[in-house]
Amino acid sequence: MNGAIGGDLLLNCTDMSVLERQRAHLKYFNPSFDSPLAGFFADSSMINGGEMDGFLATAGLNLPMIYGETTVEVDPRMSIPLETTLGTGNFKKRKFDTVTKDCNEKKKMMNREEVTEGEEEEKSKITELNNGSPKSIKKMKIKAKKEENNCSNDSSKVTKELEKTDYIHVRARRGQATDSHSIAERVRREKISERMKFLQDLVPGCDKITGKAGMLDEIINYVQSLQRQIEFLSMKLAVVNPRPDFDMDDIFAKEVVSTPMTVVPSPEMVHSGYSHEMVNSGYSNEMVNSGYVHFNPMQQVETSSDPLSCFNVRHIYSFIMFHHLI
Amino acid sequence: MERQIINKKKRVFSLEPNKNPSAVFTRKYTSHLVPALKKLNMNKNSSKQTVKHEVDMALALSAQEFPWSRFLLQKLSSSSNPTTTTSSSSDGIRILERPDKEGGNEEGGIEERLRELKKLLPGGEEMNVEEMLSEIGNYIKCLELQTIALKSIVQDST
Repeated sequence: MNGAIGGDLLLNCTDMSVLERQRAHLKYFNPSFDSPLAGFFADSSMINGGEMDGFLATAGLNLPMIYGETTVEVDPRMSIPLETTLGTGNFKKRKFDTVTKDCNEKKKMMNREEVTEGEEEEKSKITELNNGSPKSIKKMKIKAKKEENNCSNDSSKVTKELEKTDYIHVRARRGQATDSHSIAERVRREKISERMKFLQDLVPGCDKITGKAGMLDEIINYVQSLQRQIEFLSMKLAVVNPRPDFDMDDIFAKEVVSTPMTVVPSPEMVHSGYSHEMVNSGYSNEMVNSGYVHFNPMQQVETSSDPLSCFNVRHIYSFIMFHHLI
Repeated sequence: MERQIINKKKRVFSLEPNKNPSAVFTRKYTSHLVPALKKLNMNKNSSKQTVKHEVDMALALSAQEFPWSRFLLQKLSSSSNPTTTTSSSSDGIRILERPDKEGGNEEGGIEERLRELKKLLPGGEEMNVEEMLSEIGNYIKCLELQTIALKSIVQDST
């Protein structure tokens, strides 16, 4: 009999969540249930004394007490009918949890006057939904939320971001507008800053600099210095003609053999912590790794006025080969 | 470790040649450039311009996955005496003067720098900003590898 008494107590308790109550209902009537929702709808009529208002057991509970801050009773009702159409077979505990969670979120968002017109739309959407398939339900729900966003053009309170396959729905952060233009603008800005971060790691000596302007300056300087180096080298190449027996294999082999000692893995070489996405390119992380290594010594070179004099190519080249061999 | 390296001197190219992209690029680059230089050397007219041309051409050919290389190729093939991708001296001076100008509007400064960056990248002016930023990353990588290759070639020849 403990079950019955317990159930009774549960039923009278008003500070439980909807879910818990409904589970309690079920337990009360059907002690051997395991799936919380399988027999749910079947039993709902019993709970209400035969009064089937289409909203399951919730009509009999003190819903406004749960969502205490608002007077919007419509909240839970809006989501529960979604459940009815989902079919008992597919029901999983989790879905219901997400619904209640969504209820909570919607409740938060609904603390405004503009909400009423949004509600109307959602209600109409929901009634449409009842005829729709289960798969489209989530989509429609998202659509409804999006329209709600569009209705309330002022900044909403803080909630999480919501992403779906068809739409990207972004809940506005505090103090930010929600119209599509600014959202697109924000996405664009984020993309740009993402790439800037990648560039920051690419260009040596950029990690200390904060701010877009300084970093862009650094990048510009670096690219220019690289180009100048190349020009200088090609000029030198024009003066120094390659030997007739210039053989590539010779270069590679020679470098490796002559400098066995220099091929000691420096700490930078060992790390493979880079995981930047390199957009638009077929190059993978290895590119970044090896490039980074090579350019540590070169960093010193660039600060000196004569890039070639104090620079040991073999040193660098053997690094390439070492990386090759690994 | 030494012994391993000495033992491996016979096989200096990795067994999976396409695994390491920077090595792939370097190999391609040198394989393009060296024969071209040899040919130039034969012809005895290795002026600075032609060498630079060959250098740039080798770069463009070795990095064909990237949009900027296509632009570079176009520019190179359109004129035999191309304006170099680096207008180095003038830009250098301009960069030095910049710190005075940039004091004012941060936002305007960024726009200006982005435009500057676009000029540096071959074909950058036709791209939008996001694309340009990612391409700059590739370009920097390839430039670095190019300098390595050039240095080793020069070193070896002297």
